[in-house]
Amino acid sequence: MSPGRRERGLVRPYVVTDGRAYPTRNTFDLVTLVLAHTDRPLSGLSPEKRRVMELCLGGALSVAEVAGYLELPVSVTKVLLGDLVDSGHITTRSPIPPAELPETQLLQEVLDGLRARL
Amino acid sequence: MTDHISEAVSWCLAVVVLVVSVLLTRQRRITAGVRRRNATLEESLRARDEEVRHLVDVRLPAVADGVNLPTPLPGLKDEKLAGTTFAQSLHAVMEQFTRAVDKAQTRADASAKSALKASMRALQGLAHEQQVSISQMQDRHDNPDVLRDLLEIDHANSQFGRRAQAIAVLCGSWPGRQRLASSLTDAVRGSKSRIRDYQRVQVHSLIDVAVVSRAVEPVVLAVAELLDNAARHSQPNTSVEVSLQPVHNGACIVIDDAGVGMDGLEVQRAATLLSGQRAVDVSRLGDPPQFGFAVVGLLAARYGFSVSVDTRSPYGGVRAVLFLPSALLTHIDAGTRGAAGAPEAQQAAPAQPLPSRPTRRRAAPPSPAPGSAPASAGVPAQAGPPAATYTPDPAPATAPPAADEAATSFGVTAGGLPKRRRRQATDTPGPRPVGQPEPDTGSHRVRSAEETAQRMGAFARGTRSGRAAHQENAPHPEDAAPHSEEGNRQA
Repeated sequence: MSPGRRERGLVRPYVVTDGRAYPTRNTFDLVTLVLAHTDRPLSGLSPEKRRVMELCLGGALSVAEVAGYLELPVSVTKVLLGDLVDSGHITTRSPIPPAELPETQLLQEVLDGLRARL
Repeated sequence: MTDHISEAVSWCLAVVVLVVSVLLTRQRRITAGVRRRNATLEESLRARDEEVRHLVDVRLPAVADGVNLPTPLPGLKDEKLAGTTFAQSLHAVMEQFTRAVDKAQTRADASAKSALKASMRALQGLAHEQQVSISQMQDRHDNPDVLRDLLEIDHANSQFGRRAQAIAVLCGSWPGRQRLASSLTDAVRGSKSRIRDYQRVQVHSLIDVAVVSRAVEPVVLAVAELLDNAARHSQPNTSVEVSLQPVHNGACIVIDDAGVGMDGLEVQRAATLLSGQRAVDVSRLGDPPQFGFAVVGLLAARYGFSVSVDTRSPYGGVRAVLFLPSALLTHIDAGTRGAAGAPEAQQAAPAQPLPSRPTRRRAAPPSPAPGSAPASAGVPAQAGPPAATYTPDPAPATAPPAADEAATSFGVTAGGLPKRRRRQATDTPGPRPVGQPEPDTGSHRVRSAEETAQRMGAFARGTRSGRAAHQENAPHPEDAAPHSEEGNRQA
């Protein structure tokens, strides 16, 4: 129920990508972050690409999120993102690595200590 | 004496001659009259014979041929018979025949239409089902090779669905799908999705008007037929230009092709079909049947838009103009990018009763939710003490204020789950760099001493009773354990 949602079955994916199934670059992952360049003109972009730009202007979004908001398959989204990278509208960044979690043993000790106290 | 006798004889003879001659003359006159009468009768009989033959050879076939054509029927061959009883009888025969032919035609047409309609509806349903599964496959597979094949199948399936839909509409069916109000651009691109040479169609000048929900599918189908005509009747290396123009009373979709164009007769025929005034006879669409204009005309008449093809395109082909009156247009852009939740709610509300696909799809996930929520709630309740850690519902406390605000301002879904939305582009970049780094984690937040103690107590009680429960009812250890763990992790 996100705003601006559209009829999903109306515009088919092959029209969105103009029949292409291969992204121009193979650097996208589900968690690749997409950053928009605000200085690029939006004229001449297809409605989906425009929407990508609008979504990403607020900050970095992952490829999976972009696909979710566009309500398009991830593979189709990758084709669009590849075009946008080529035209210089967006840049991509690999995801931030997850923080290292403390060891289980340490947690266990803390738990024991707490139990002893309470 | 002999004189007397001879005189008498001669007198007698004279009288006889006179009588005979009188009789002869009379007889001759009578004969002549009878002959004349005979001739007249013969003539008239021949005329009637010929008239009957004319009826059989010319007039009745003309009736049979021209049931739907407004051509004048041929009249009597011999004008002399006009007004006679015979002519009236012939007229009665003609009328009866016409009526019988009409009836037979209507019945045949109706049965052909209903048979076609039923089978096309079935095909339409299958095409739709297939489209749904193709969409799911596209979502599921992330391989460009698979995607390429799926796109091809999808394209073929869309064309197939359009054909079935067009024939069904021609047979008096409804277009078959209820959609949400969609922008005119999307409608045109939807039509583009359904034709073979979609890559040749260039859509220019995007305008931000939308088509009302009930007219989306008819407009998409009509534009698809026009685009198909345009692409089919032009060279494969030319492009079909579509432009969208706002006009005073509505909006226009202008389709230009660089094809062969149409001559006067074709334009006239197209105009008749596009007016949608005449009932379309399914059996008279030619071989191969050309139902494009007939379908467009029917839809236009039914939904209140109009289509004309009588202008020449500057590219040399045909310019088709589809005019949508303001009654069929709406604006959806106000609600789409604005931050307000109200337009969205209004937009979603009318969509709810409609059996559209996204609605159903979206309605599906919430519907198991109410069922699964009591189920998951029931497990900790049965497990007893772990519910104590679970029920205080620490979510509002730990959830960042932004998400909280989002949950309140965007309401709940049909299933009772809070609706969340990504924070708007405009307000995110502002506060984040200033002083509140990452409000989401909650790790650094300071709790009051009581709260901490309460939590710790709950934690300890929970683990203790969890262990107790574990020892007590050994058959269901997995019921209690994962849930208490889950609850703790949330707290």
